[in-house]
Amino acid sequence: MKSVVVFMMFAVLAMPQQAFAAIGCTLSNPAEDLKYLYPEMTTYKEDLNEFPLLKDGTELFRALRERLGSDLDPIYETYETPYTVYSVFKGQQKIGVVHGVNVPGKGGVIQVFLSMDPQTGEIRRFFFQRLESPAARQLRSKEFLSQFEGLTLGDFYKHDYYATVDPGAKADKVAAITPPVFEVSGRPDYEASLRGIRKNLILVDFFVYGKKFEPYFERAKQATEKAKARKE
Amino acid sequence: MEETIQDPFVLRRYVVLATKNLRRRPVRTGLTVAGVALAVTVAVSLGGFMLGYRGAIDKSIKMLGYQVMIMAKGCPYEAATMMLKGGTGLLYLPGDTYQQVKSDPDIENITPIFVGVVEKQASSIRDEGAASNFTIISGIDVPSFLVMKPWLGFKQGPGYANGRWFTPGSKDEVVLGFEAAEYEQRKVGDSFYASITPAGKPNPVMYQFTVVGVLERTGTQDDGTVFLPIDATREYFNRPNQLTILGIKLKEFSSFKMREFETRWLKLPEVQVVGLQQVKNTLVNLVATAQTMIAAVAAIAVIVALIGVINTILMSVYERTAEIGIMKALGARRGSIFQLIWLETLMVCFVGALVGSAMAVIGAGLVETAIKGLADLGVSGSIVQITPALVGYTVLVAVVLGFFAGLYPAWCAASMRPVEAIGKGG
Repeated sequence: MKSVVVFMMFAVLAMPQQAFAAIGCTLSNPAEDLKYLYPEMTTYKEDLNEFPLLKDGTELFRALRERLGSDLDPIYETYETPYTVYSVFKGQQKIGVVHGVNVPGKGGVIQVFLSMDPQTGEIRRFFFQRLESPAARQLRSKEFLSQFEGLTLGDFYKHDYYATVDPGAKADKVAAITPPVFEVSGRPDYEASLRGIRKNLILVDFFVYGKKFEPYFERAKQATEKAKARKE
Repeated sequence: MEETIQDPFVLRRYVVLATKNLRRRPVRTGLTVAGVALAVTVAVSLGGFMLGYRGAIDKSIKMLGYQVMIMAKGCPYEAATMMLKGGTGLLYLPGDTYQQVKSDPDIENITPIFVGVVEKQASSIRDEGAASNFTIISGIDVPSFLVMKPWLGFKQGPGYANGRWFTPGSKDEVVLGFEAAEYEQRKVGDSFYASITPAGKPNPVMYQFTVVGVLERTGTQDDGTVFLPIDATREYFNRPNQLTILGIKLKEFSSFKMREFETRWLKLPEVQVVGLQQVKNTLVNLVATAQTMIAAVAAIAVIVALIGVINTILMSVYERTAEIGIMKALGARRGSIFQLIWLETLMVCFVGALVGSAMAVIGAGLVETAIKGLADLGVSGSIVQITPALVGYTVLVAVVLGFFAGLYPAWCAASMRPVEAIGKGG
């Protein structure tokens, strides 16, 4: 009885706070969207991740900023922002991971979603849920989006490494991505989209893959520091 | 001298004895109390909804700022929704309506508003079936609009500092409502894209605006609105001589004045005059049927609970036939037995009512979320309002019903003949 009362009290007290909570990024119609992405799906699970609720939340938030290489928006990309990871199952087997993030675009929020391989962390599909931009048509084109299929967070960290030690290296898969042709006004949204992919991959690496791509980050970081030291 | 239950000392003894009797069968008593509690929970929640919904309508209407609205002829439900929610599928007034109406001697303030709906570029993994999102754009005349809504203020703090209304003649500045800014994740100084389809044109045109202010939360449709200067909005939508609404505040707002005003302006062929009272009635009528059905369910719950109470007390009386017989043989009067059994009924109802009221208060948030999840009632703010008076009234009603429910079992017990009762019970 006591636990029921405690639960009800929690529900009542928690509810009004939701209106003021930081805004996360969720699929509009999870069941339909995930079934579309994974026709063989039998069920899915939603996991809500929030830095304040994680044991090492403060450290992870700092690490996100460091790995992203850019500042987080102080109002809309805060420590309190919740992140929903969708795990897709076929029977007992986990067949996919889907995650989305908000990134500020030039004229409105951009919602960047990735579906990933649950074992390797490779991008299976990249799509926008929301994108208002002069370059929207080009950014949504299959030709552009499909270039990201097969990439991992490791490839983005490797890109940082190659950009320092061997610019233009053939092994740099991220550098090989061809931006779509759009007017100059679309450039900020293209860059915001790339930032969104990277932010998305970093968060999923934290929440799902147990930081498996960290060695690539460390290598890139060391290379950058060495290059910096040489310059000085 | 006969002992009476009015004597506090005697009453205490009666209460102790009645409690002892009820505790003999704790599960049965507990279930009966639970039945009463559930019925009371439903009744209090329903009462809270009725009170809260009317209060929410009143608040929403008050926050509109105007008492009367002139708009193009159409469905009154649409009119009501437009007043409170912004509305879509809009009809437009000729722009000269404003010039004609504003000289009316009964008008204290009038503000013209042009409402346009902008379809957001929607995208999803299911491109062919992507749901479209809309943004409501309100073209306003700032000075007269602020006279109607003096409470509108700009959000302050990092990212929102120096919020302001548009500079005169500007066409590329927007002010965002609180939720519109959150939804688009915009701050003061940011750009804002809107794709507007001009009237008569097949394709939308994307415009870039600068956010010059973000409004404080008001709890009204203004929170989700994007504000632009009225002339610029009409130009973007290619409706340079049209309006959506004229918001009006009368010098004296009474039924008589309202009727006079309405009669004067209904002569215009394309307009309807909608007053606050009409809007309120429309919205109340919209949910009246649902409220009646819920009230019927609550009434059935109360009846079932009362039958449960009567059944429990009767069973208790029949189980204690011999005991009651002995009590009477030892000198207990009919009135004393009657009062004792009656008191047990009242205690079950009273405790059930208290527990039920507490459950209703604790669960008010859940009820509100459930109702809002089931239907868009056209108002913002809290729609379940459980007041101490409502709780007190419900507890009183429960006790009064218990008063009647206890009559028959108490009469049965009081009417037992001692010898027969001892014989039956033995």
